[in-house]
Amino acid sequence: MKSGKKHLLDEEFTDGAQGATKVPAVDNTPKRTMTKPLLLLGCVVAAMLLGAMLPVSYSLELEYAISLTVFAVATNLLLGFGGLVSFGQGIFYGIGAYTIALGWMHHSLSFWEAMAVAPIAGAAASVLMGLVALRTRRLYFALLTLAFSQLAYVIVEEQYGFTSGANGIFGALVPDWLASPRNSFFFVLAISVVSLLIMAKIVSSPYGLVLRSIRDNRERAEALGVNVFRHQLVAMAISGFFCAVAGTMFVIYSQSSYPDLFLWTSSGIPVFMVVIGGMYTFLGPALGAIVYELAHHFLIAHTQDWQLVLGVVLLVIVLFRPDGLAGTFDFVRSRKLRRSNSKTEAN
Amino acid sequence: MARLLIELIGTLSAASTLFVVATGLTLVFGAMRVINLSHGSFYMYGAFIVSTLVGTSTGARYWWAIAVAALAVALLGTLLDLTVVRFTVNRDPLTQLLATFAVFLILADLGQHIWGTGFRAVPLASTLSGRITIASATFPIFDLFVIGVAAVVGIGLWLLLGHSVIGWRIRAAVDDPEVLQAGGVNLRRLQTGVFTLGAFLAGLGGAVIAPQIVVAPGIDESIIVSAFLVAVIGGLGSVLGTAVGALIIALAETVGALVAPTWASTFTYIAVILVLALRPWGLFGVAER
Repeated sequence: MKSGKKHLLDEEFTDGAQGATKVPAVDNTPKRTMTKPLLLLGCVVAAMLLGAMLPVSYSLELEYAISLTVFAVATNLLLGFGGLVSFGQGIFYGIGAYTIALGWMHHSLSFWEAMAVAPIAGAAASVLMGLVALRTRRLYFALLTLAFSQLAYVIVEEQYGFTSGANGIFGALVPDWLASPRNSFFFVLAISVVSLLIMAKIVSSPYGLVLRSIRDNRERAEALGVNVFRHQLVAMAISGFFCAVAGTMFVIYSQSSYPDLFLWTSSGIPVFMVVIGGMYTFLGPALGAIVYELAHHFLIAHTQDWQLVLGVVLLVIVLFRPDGLAGTFDFVRSRKLRRSNSKTEAN
Repeated sequence: MARLLIELIGTLSAASTLFVVATGLTLVFGAMRVINLSHGSFYMYGAFIVSTLVGTSTGARYWWAIAVAALAVALLGTLLDLTVVRFTVNRDPLTQLLATFAVFLILADLGQHIWGTGFRAVPLASTLSGRITIASATFPIFDLFVIGVAAVVGIGLWLLLGHSVIGWRIRAAVDDPEVLQAGGVNLRRLQTGVFTLGAFLAGLGGAVIAPQIVVAPGIDESIIVSAFLVAVIGGLGSVLGTAVGALIIALAETVGALVAPTWASTFTYIAVILVLALRPWGLFGVAER
């Protein structure tokens, strides 16, 4: 069934039972226009200018927000494109951070070695989780990943001798030149842009299309000969890889690492960002991450009720605006997408 | 032998709290197919309300404080069902998880406004403090009380679900809602009732256990994870499964604490993951596709 993958998303695809009648397929393929690359380039240039000119306290905040875009988009590879609701992405974020921190503490890995190892460790852990978690579906998948998140948390917290437990790890975790705020800003920006570009490439590749076809109609994809389990496992590996990359950037930003990164509530944060930004677009979650982090930073300085504000905003978005911010801008397209989703979900 | 009995009673007591809280979660899922992340907040509010009502008294106040706390939390549950949860019925799991997560955040914040961020200790009623010796094993009376509460809840639910008209209506609410409604049953009111009962059980759990725990913000976060694990390995929707799940979790914790104290919690989570790897829909759950 070699041609199966191609047919699945082909507009000419006809349903066997309906004979020659055309199935009104929703065009999920991204259009090749210059608007998006130009927009992206504009964002990068704007970020560079801001990073160079803003006072250090602001540029650090922006650096953190930018690093979180990678976390959010990587989470959305599962959530929006794979249809897999994971409450365990904090594990791989934490693994990314702890690879650097533990390598430093035990004098076993230099910073650059740890930077190279971290994403692979994240991907490997994600595959291990996937081997078990992908046996379950939907709600059970979400709850099982939540359990994994908690497992990772208690391991890190209880193994005091190896991880220094709840205290976390602080210190000169990064090379001297990277400890300077300006340098770290550009370093994080570069890693983030490269990561986002790679993920964009993956999403629009044939593999990305198959992944979405599984989300939309698992049974049909299976019937066409797609190995659903393997495709989802690969998605988890990629997501784990980039979540760990985001975790390494957390260390560059904060020069610390602590077990709370693994908590299920931490795993919920990228899910919030995705939902705030809009899960049916590629850059929506990135927008969500920046809005979330800047709002968090601003509100926490002015009010103690950050959780209240977040809760209310989240409630309103989830109940009334499931497409998030990006969905509001790109209204027609995402509504069409959602309709095609809900249609298949009803099956 | 005495040692074994002591461990057994301790384990049963831990399982009892888990059962009372988790059974509310599983009941709501069974009747509404809604998963409620804010269930832990109900537990926390139950404990907080008891701590306010009891104050420093060790007298009979504890008894009516439990009743008031559980009923107040039940009322909160009704309110929440009418304002939020109602709109998540029949939506996808992500919507349900996030909407109730939002409620969890809001309730946690409001709880800090009402009760502050400090720790609170609830004194034990004098009738429940002290120890009792049975067959040369000595254990706290309070443990027996907690086990008794769980037994009453368990038997009550068994009678309600298995041997009453309301029980078969609740089961029909998921199996065949159309026919149920055609028979003149108000489905929404039934669901509100079940959600209220679920909140009541979580509030009751928090209220009963309050003297034995440190009542502070954050207990909502930890109990919800344990309650989920219990409900999920038992199979969401099954009360019997929840009881078995509670026993497995409590047992794993006891054995873990005895065998390898630094790995105690790790042990529990691995037990859960093993169960789910072998039976993805829990021990007594029904596979959903």
